[in-house]
Amino acid sequence: MIRYFSNIWQSITTLLIGMRITLVHLAKARKGIVTLQYPEERWPRPERNIGFSHDSYNVIRSRLHVDMDDCIGCLKCERACPVDCIHITTVKVEKGTDIPEANHVGITSYGTQKRLLVTRFDIDMSECCYCNLCVYPCPEDCIFMTGGPNSSKQEIDYEFSEFNRSDMIFRFAKVPKDQVEKYTPPPKEKVKGDVAG
Amino acid sequence: MGIETLTLDRSAIQGEEMVLNIGPQHPSTHGVLRLQVVTDGEIVTKITPYIGYLHRCFEKHCENVTYEQVIPFVDRCDYIASMNNNFGYAVAMEELMGIEVSEKVHYIRVIVAELNRIASHLLAIGTFGLDVGAFTPFLYCFRDRERILDLFELLCGARLLYNYIWVGGVSHDFPIGFVEKVYEFLDYFEPKIQEYNDLLTFNKIFIERTADVGVLPADVAISYGVSGPNLRGSGVKWDLRKNEPYSIYNKFDFDIPIGTGAMGTVGGCWDRYYVRIRELEESVKITRQALDQIPREGDVHAALPKKIRPPKGHVYSRTETPRGDLGFYIISDGKPKPFRLKLRSPAFTALSCINEIARGWMIADVIAILGSLDIVLGEIDR
Repeated sequence: MIRYFSNIWQSITTLLIGMRITLVHLAKARKGIVTLQYPEERWPRPERNIGFSHDSYNVIRSRLHVDMDDCIGCLKCERACPVDCIHITTVKVEKGTDIPEANHVGITSYGTQKRLLVTRFDIDMSECCYCNLCVYPCPEDCIFMTGGPNSSKQEIDYEFSEFNRSDMIFRFAKVPKDQVEKYTPPPKEKVKGDVAG
Repeated sequence: MGIETLTLDRSAIQGEEMVLNIGPQHPSTHGVLRLQVVTDGEIVTKITPYIGYLHRCFEKHCENVTYEQVIPFVDRCDYIASMNNNFGYAVAMEELMGIEVSEKVHYIRVIVAELNRIASHLLAIGTFGLDVGAFTPFLYCFRDRERILDLFELLCGARLLYNYIWVGGVSHDFPIGFVEKVYEFLDYFEPKIQEYNDLLTFNKIFIERTADVGVLPADVAISYGVSGPNLRGSGVKWDLRKNEPYSIYNKFDFDIPIGTGAMGTVGGCWDRYYVRIRELEESVKITRQALDQIPREGDVHAALPKKIRPPKGHVYSRTETPRGDLGFYIISDGKPKPFRLKLRSPAFTALSCINEIARGWMIADVIAILGSLDIVLGEIDR
């Protein structure tokens, strides 16, 4: 009998102890601890330009962006990608010369003379796993996630939903469509190689 | 009419056993898990877990990517505690390759791993309360877990799947001011543990619901290979951080909380739950010591290999994640891709003993038992 009533007593007291915490929380309620009305207001992103002496550390995960004027077509990012969402095609061109009709700049901002013309640089952001592994090996720092330490180069973009899945493929190559065929290597060579082999 | 006809024939009155299907789409199965529960009335007579709804061919997939590229996939196994998974893989790979990482890397790894342990236990505590019908503690736990995720976002840009701990180092150093922010968080967090205790742990209704329920005896736990807080809840003092110290865990002073049966039998749901609460305090203690001792100078990339190409051989290495012993068995044939990679999942062994401990309890208790085991289906199916 005593046990029965002590159980009831304990239930009530321990419940009240818990209720006290929620009441204190309610009394302290202020703006910022309630649900954020998302599209109207956004949670502030952590400030990352806090005296980091190394610029090459790309500590943000958002949409990938490629600065094609600096890309030398070395395929390092394509090889680093664990989910194979980067597709690059390159064509050999004369070293270090501009090709205005293909929007090709011969020399990168780091002073490297380009040997290759990138005719295709597609990133399928619907497949991307945001691991950042493609960013680190880039010798020209031309592939990066938008925003954060790179916000001077490209504004942050992490809301890029699309109605169509094919719209999630971002095509960065600057070569105009009518020019692509001109730079595609003729298939004749392939046949020759097969015969010789 | 003799007296014989009046004796109770149990087989005559016993009804048919009913098969109840819990899941795969059920909020209290903590993922995509199907439990086939055979019940006699409301008493459970047999539970068969059906897994594989989240199978992603993790182990086979690892054989087709290079060693660096495995890390994002390891992240996605135990997605609640990615840092600890990264840590386990990095420790295994460094043992295989014979790399010695710098002191600073060790400290950074311990700090982020313990922070992630706190975040993972907060989720376990919150959802366990949710399973037994207490909604409020869940919100309080998530409020504090959010702060840890914010810290990680500041650290590496990602909130859940970090890819931060690499083989031979970490992807980059702590940002300036990060150590102070972690101190700030610990000062904020320590009094909050008392809040969870007041809200949930010592609530009489919660105790009645969980203490003595689903008792996992120590011998059964060991024979099933259960590890982590579930094993310690049964009163076995086993923690890899203490028993087989890896990294620099032997430098820190901390206790291993075990289930004492303060509210009932040792090994009940409440004991497993309370071990997690006490581990929060221990993790805070370790993090504080690591923050005090971390060397300010030092390169985090010193031991980072240009191309990971381990020598021929094999290694089995295990580390303590919030769920238990996470083991990696890696066979290398000298190529840049692993020949075989086996992951020993702690959540898998925890789930495997559910038939043993949930038999004889009511259906509602099965939910409590499942919640107290703190399984992550991403790791079980992998």
